Amino acid sequence: MFVHQSSCISPQHTFGTTDRETVVAPENNILKVIEPKYDGIPLNMLRRMGKAVRIGVGAAMPLLRQKQNLDGIIIGTANGGMEDCIKFLNQVMEYDEGRLTPTNFVQSTPNAIAAQVGLTSVNNGYNITHVHRGLAFENAMLDAMMMLNDNPDATYLLGGVDEVSSYNYNLERLDGWYKKEKIDGKDLYAKQTNGSIAGEGSAMFLVNNKSAGAILKVQAIQMLHTKDSVEVSSKLNEFLEKWGHHDVFFSGENGDARIQSFYDGCENLLNGSVTKLHFKHFTGEHPSATAMALWLACNFLETQKIPGHFFKGNPNQNPFKSILIYNTGKGMQHSFISLTKS
Amino acid sequence: MGRVFVTGMGVISAIGDSLSSSRSALLKGVSGIAPADLVQSKYAGTLRFGEVKMENEKLREISGVNRAGVTRTSLLALHAMNDAVRDSGWDSSFLNSYDTALIGASTVGGMCQTDELYRDAISETNGSAYTSSYDCASVTLFLREQLGVKGVTNTINTACSSSANAIMQGVQLIKNGFAKRAIVGGVDSLAKFTINGFNSLGILSPGNCRPFDKERNGLNLGEGAAFLILEREEDMKNKKVYATVSGYCNSNDAFHPSSLSENGEGPYRAMKGAMEKAALSPGDIGFISTHGTGTENNDEVESKAMMRIFNNVPPFASSKSKIGHTLGASAAVEAVFSIIGMQHGEIYPSLNFNTPIESTGLKPLTVHQKLDVKHIMSNSFGFGGNCASLIFSKA
Amino acid sequence: MEREQLKTELKQHIIKYLNLLEKTPADIIDDQPLFGDGLGLDSIDSIELVVLLEREYGIKINDPKDGRKIFTSINTMVDYIIANRIK
Repeated sequence: MFVHQSSCISPQHTFGTTDRETVVAPENNILKVIEPKYDGIPLNMLRRMGKAVRIGVGAAMPLLRQKQNLDGIIIGTANGGMEDCIKFLNQVMEYDEGRLTPTNFVQSTPNAIAAQVGLTSVNNGYNITHVHRGLAFENAMLDAMMMLNDNPDATYLLGGVDEVSSYNYNLERLDGWYKKEKIDGKDLYAKQTNGSIAGEGSAMFLVNNKSAGAILKVQAIQMLHTKDSVEVSSKLNEFLEKWGHHDVFFSGENGDARIQSFYDGCENLLNGSVTKLHFKHFTGEHPSATAMALWLACNFLETQKIPGHFFKGNPNQNPFKSILIYNTGKGMQHSFISLTKS
Repeated sequence: MGRVFVTGMGVISAIGDSLSSSRSALLKGVSGIAPADLVQSKYAGTLRFGEVKMENEKLREISGVNRAGVTRTSLLALHAMNDAVRDSGWDSSFLNSYDTALIGASTVGGMCQTDELYRDAISETNGSAYTSSYDCASVTLFLREQLGVKGVTNTINTACSSSANAIMQGVQLIKNGFAKRAIVGGVDSLAKFTINGFNSLGILSPGNCRPFDKERNGLNLGEGAAFLILEREEDMKNKKVYATVSGYCNSNDAFHPSSLSENGEGPYRAMKGAMEKAALSPGDIGFISTHGTGTENNDEVESKAMMRIFNNVPPFASSKSKIGHTLGASAAVEAVFSIIGMQHGEIYPSLNFNTPIESTGLKPLTVHQKLDVKHIMSNSFGFGGNCASLIFSKA
Repeated sequence: MEREQLKTELKQHIIKYLNLLEKTPADIIDDQPLFGDGLGLDSIDSIELVVLLEREYGIKINDPKDGRKIFTSINTMVDYIIANRIK
């Protein structure tokens, strides 16, 4: 599967005029998206959209303009629609199940993102939403690869979207997934305490099986469910034996002391020449953060430039042709994604 | 690549908690639609639902679940999944293999615990036992943990077509070599959240739903779960086989967030695509298990889409007239009912039908019939224009 | 309440309930059709307007389909509110 175009709305300057050198800091440990002016979305549709749908459709718009007649829309989201969900829930409680307004309910379903992208582009093709938490986007990637196997001439819009709503932020906070102490983005990895910082964002890609003109090739994806770091390292070993050496290791480590051992275990398998990078200070922690990592990887491979703040240790200018992304969601869901320059 | 076979099934709905009790009920034309007793909602006694008349404690007891924080949705799913796994004769080597996939589907997830969710969402200090059990993925993750599945695990939410897409994902994983076998299906439970959501759209019937009837006035919500075991043709030696998944298609109506286009473009493309996948022509389809919710919009549009494809629309019926609309579970539950019928050479009627829709004149099956059907089509059309059609064929 | 005042208040409510972006009461013309080509509202909006009438003016409309005649324009809505309001 080849990625030809990408687009990203995030807490950083990743949409419109992009700037990967600057890192916007979290506010109260939350990285909230910088929403653009949504010129391409009709006001009549925009007025109903919750945040996840806005940033999903917003990030998709530049790609929809590049390619009409897409064969389908494949989205991964764990939290999409949660803001509207809690708004509807508040209505249910406030009006004691009386007469309620339906818009929040209709927009609260995670499939609203893919549906609205389909509606905006009047696309009758394949349309699906994967919601498997920390592997929602990876499952969407695998789905795209399988669809392309079946339909070799097709092009799909593939995306990962998640939002921080008051509802899911509070649930995650109660479960101890965010740092209790206030943290600046650049200290995220140094202070090994429990939890991380919250993030949100939307990354969209045009994918097909044509290598000509592509930015990168997705060589392989592997997903794993386990709490055993030895199993993770063992599976990574198998993965590397099959797919070979990678010039860059792009780590999803997030400063959470409880799951750092998974990342360390994987790093220890790599030889010293591998360049090691991390991204959660840029994206925040959210279930589909790997979608933003893929967006960054597209840019790195295309420009051969990696801003210094992504490096673990000292930056280098070594040329690179392949990137391995490793991420874990809560030390229970894991993915390896192998990318090569096209 | 060979065919994909269904080698095990499990189901629970308002008309039965097993394959055999479901078949019994289908033969008798029993309706499971009644006022609700278990779900906590102002509308429980006034509207009508396809409620599974089994309390959570009983579901826990049957499945041997002791820990806290397990929602009704997860319990219903576990019940159906355990039955499916047992039905296929699987042992632990299959379950613990990296080649075994698990694809679940749900729209409600743990939001059946509506009151706890409201409290947890704003709680400053202490959360309930359910804080990590509200999303749809929590159900599949619970099932995965119960079984020890190691292969590709995923959760789909495409509204009412969710479990159809879960079934399709399972087939795709097997055909593309990412799994040798898959447990696929879906679940949803009644929830104050969804009852009020659908009520706010004005599409709940004040009485019993009347699919395809001129006087139809809305749907009845239901709950349930169904799982199917899918395996490769090359592994079929000495295995009991129910059917093949011979055709499938996902298409989007792209018209409106919560209603279908007048000419049913999404449903039309889904049905047509499924037949193309199965290399079948319209005359080959012996029976259609329709989406048939009983809403003004769906039934008329679905009828028109069927008429666009079939010169002679085959016998068709809506299971929702008996079990209500089980949302994320509906495609899987109705697929299981279709396969049960095909296995026994019978087709089951729709209830509460009197007069056809004026613009179409179509009449669903209203009496049980013995009929040897070789290919059954099963349709699901959801919010967001998410349409899906599946075809199961005699093996 | 004066008819003109009620019209402005109603327009403000409509903008809020339907989240009409970049619209002010001055942009909504009194006899402009609310549905179809005019303001471009649809079936979900008509349900929202039924809720608006109940919450803001205490008027219950039992069948949303009855709403379509009432919701033809601002003028028809104001006429109906004046005749039927409880709050």
